[in-house]
Amino acid sequence: MMLPLFLALSACKGPAVLSGPPPVADQTTMLLHAVTAEQNLIWIYKKAAAAYSGLAPSIAPLLAEHEAHLAQLRGRVIEPAGKRVPDAVTARPRPGATKAAALAQLRAAEHAAIATLMSRLDGASPSLAQLYASIAASEATHVTALTSLIGS
Amino acid sequence: MAATSAQIAAMQAALEAEHAAVYGYGVTGAMLTGAAKSLAYADWRAHQIARDTLAAMLVKLGAAPVVASPAYTLPFAVTNAASARRLAAALEDGVTRAYLGLVAVNNRSLRIFGALAMQPPATRAAVWRGSTVAFPGMPGQQA
Repeated sequence: MMLPLFLALSACKGPAVLSGPPPVADQTTMLLHAVTAEQNLIWIYKKAAAAYSGLAPSIAPLLAEHEAHLAQLRGRVIEPAGKRVPDAVTARPRPGATKAAALAQLRAAEHAAIATLMSRLDGASPSLAQLYASIAASEATHVTALTSLIGS
Repeated sequence: MAATSAQIAAMQAALEAEHAAVYGYGVTGAMLTGAAKSLAYADWRAHQIARDTLAAMLVKLGAAPVVASPAYTLPFAVTNAASARRLAAALEDGVTRAYLGLVAVNNRSLRIFGALAMQPPATRAAVWRGSTVAFPGMPGQQA
């Protein structure tokens, strides 16, 4: 514990080996947020499937696609120094009070995900932008699928 | 800011895909009846509108829009309603893939345009196919 104090007192200008990790690049921060957002979506799907067992077979393909999205997003993360790839859900809304409400909640979450992914395009690398755009297009197909389920 | 050749090329590729879709839906529609035929007609109109939008954008950028071919080679024989549906899905996959190319360009407006333009064909492909895919437009995601 004495070494940092010593260096500070001696005004050492050498390499900042004792300082904290470098700041995380904006693109990485956005990617980490995308990982968390996908985890939140998966959580809502699982809760809806658990609350309404009749829904599970219908939404299982959509859930599987979200899990594929998460795997791809996580695969793009080069873990920043001093920062772990998030694996915790940060939003845990209660499933809708009825099956239709639960589906509407999933649809609203998909809409929100599309808007968020679109906002991440600017500043992303070309390949990451394409991944965001493809996932957003996938969420758009989910909106249509969920709308069909609500109407059925 | 003037568009780069890469941006123009990506837009021309999207326009080419729209031309192919307009042609292909003519084949698809001929094999369908009832609600499916109405759906094909609506999708055909959507591609005509998208085609005209892209052509106008290219003209505005000073480029000559690529013209439609008199005919396009279909990826498989279309002989009945089932194959017509498969063709519709394939056409939509092609358009989705072309717009994904626009997302890679280094231009904020075109990137957002491409990402938004992917969503309707991805959705139409899912409707024709009867199932969704995880990564519309990406290699290996076609029916």
